[in-house]
Amino acid sequence: MFIIDKLAYSSKLRYKNPAVKAAFAVGSLLICVGARSFVISLIILMIMGGLTVLSGRISVLRYFGLLMIPFSFLALSTLAIVFNLSEQPLNLFNIPIGTVYLAVSQNSLREGVLLVVVALASVSCLYFLTLSTTMIDLLTLLQRLRCPKLMVELMMLIYRYIFVLLDMASAISTSQKCRLGNKDFMTELRSVGQLLAVLLIRSLKKSSLLYDAMESRCYDGEIRVLNEYRPAEMRDAAGVAGYLAILIVLAVIL
Amino acid sequence: MNDQEKSSGQEAVLCLENICYTYEDGTEALKGVDLNILRGERLAIMGANGSGKSTLFLTLNGIHKPASGRVLFCGGPVDYSRKGLLDLRRKVGIVFQDPDNQLFSASVTQEISFGILNLGVAEAEAQKRVDQVIEELNITAFREKPTHFLSGGQKKRVSIADILVMDPEVIIFDEPAAALDPKHSAMVDEIIDELSAKGITVILSTHDVNRALLWAERIVLLDDGRILSQGTPEEIFTNEALLMRTNLEKPAILKIYESLCDAGILSRQLTLPRSADELQKIKRGEKLSQIKRQY
Ligand SMILES: Nc1ncnc2c1ncn2[C@@H]1O[C@H](COP(=O)(O)OP(=O)(O)OP(=O)(O)O)[C@@H](O)[C@H]1O
Ligand SMILES: [Mg+2]
Repeated sequence: MFIIDKLAYSSKLRYKNPAVKAAFAVGSLLICVGARSFVISLIILMIMGGLTVLSGRISVLRYFGLLMIPFSFLALSTLAIVFNLSEQPLNLFNIPIGTVYLAVSQNSLREGVLLVVVALASVSCLYFLTLSTTMIDLLTLLQRLRCPKLMVELMMLIYRYIFVLLDMASAISTSQKCRLGNKDFMTELRSVGQLLAVLLIRSLKKSSLLYDAMESRCYDGEIRVLNEYRPAEMRDAAGVAGYLAILIVLAVIL
Repeated sequence: MNDQEKSSGQEAVLCLENICYTYEDGTEALKGVDLNILRGERLAIMGANGSGKSTLFLTLNGIHKPASGRVLFCGGPVDYSRKGLLDLRRKVGIVFQDPDNQLFSASVTQEISFGILNLGVAEAEAQKRVDQVIEELNITAFREKPTHFLSGGQKKRVSIADILVMDPEVIIFDEPAAALDPKHSAMVDEIIDELSAKGITVILSTHDVNRALLWAERIVLLDDGRILSQGTPEEIFTNEALLMRTNLEKPAILKIYESLCDAGILSRQLTLPRSADELQKIKRGEKLSQIKRQY
């Protein structure tokens, strides 16, 4: 998660309009899931993967590494679809277990592979968005899309304080390790419990300090800030529209 | 205090009258503080950890309402209604000790624009002010970075920009040099010097006696929620008993100066040196007069 955050800030596409990027990613995602087509999913996977790798200063290997995170979950659930328990042997291959067969049919294999490809393509769409758009821009976009203000404000504070709390947690954990807080399993368990308790207390304290600091700047219950929203370039918007249109046409034909 | 006011011809911008403040858990953090803060002055508050500096600051902008006593701003008692507090806080800004407790947004622009938008300034105007402050404090190089990737010194500058953008009359720095390396603390010192040169009232808390001697016009010593003593840096730092009591070191320059005087190398001056440069000047002055005497 933190590596994704870091990469978003160094992406070459960072300063593109977030609405265009979101339309590109979410549009592709909808078409991909809607069409459930092998070819279209592959096209989307290639385009998203290619764009992310080229624009994101991220190596192909690392990108595959990221794709593999959901892949393990995916593989497990796909196995359940590919393999059937059946009384008759099926047409691809069969492993007899007592009176039944653990069997794979051509159909179930196709289903399974299609599922994997569609899922990976969908994930690649979301990765494109998160790896090219900073959280700050995404929140600005949500606000412009008339998301409830309270929700956006909460997300903004949470996003900021994840990093502060993380720093705090790692400092506490380091100091515990310095005092052999992880010498055996039971001690480690106790240390983690203490860490969580301290973290809770400190974050409450921090929130009250933050509130004081915000009040000092005339906070009145609503967070008003200047957002840096970069207007869409005609060329990008037209490109995305054209690309989505072609995908839809392909989806209808295939 | 009134004498001082008359003699210097300055009015008090903030005035504390017998302020007491107790935290919810019963800690008496301020036990009757009387203090006049003059417009445009450079005031350093010193005192041990837990002596009540931060608490004092939060009463100055109305975050803490004193249990007894009055806070006067520009001569009138502070009005603790919503509107009164907003008026006070737009004029008295605090730069907090730990930027992580002040920066609430991941974006530098969002962060800096918060205060000025709360003042009801139109967005276009606010954007101009934000850009200007970013320029002034040399934030441009990292304005596109998220705040969680900034170094301590960079965060500090953003937290100062937070306050500067609101154009306050009084700026309070709670330990501005805490956790900064010498280069960054020099940078912050420079910013503070520029502010006082512009006539803004600057109050800061510090544990750095050398810096206080060099910078402050007046020093207030806090001890356990009370004002122990106040005066010019020379008055404070030559009072051995006082320094003992508050665990403060005598500034290095004064130590050197005094030992030079004791050794008969320098003769005592009317004005004490505040920095190495000033000490040099005294030395050179003495040489010059010696040479003149010889001829
Ligand atoms: N939120 C709080 N609740 C209860 N007691 C507090 C709270 N904040 C501070 N105190 C207490 O009030 C007293 C004054 O604290 P304060 O933070 O003002 O000291 P300080 O001079 O700023 O110290 P430092 O140099 O460490 O920053 C201390 O005894 C402290 O324990
Ligand atoms: Mg303090």
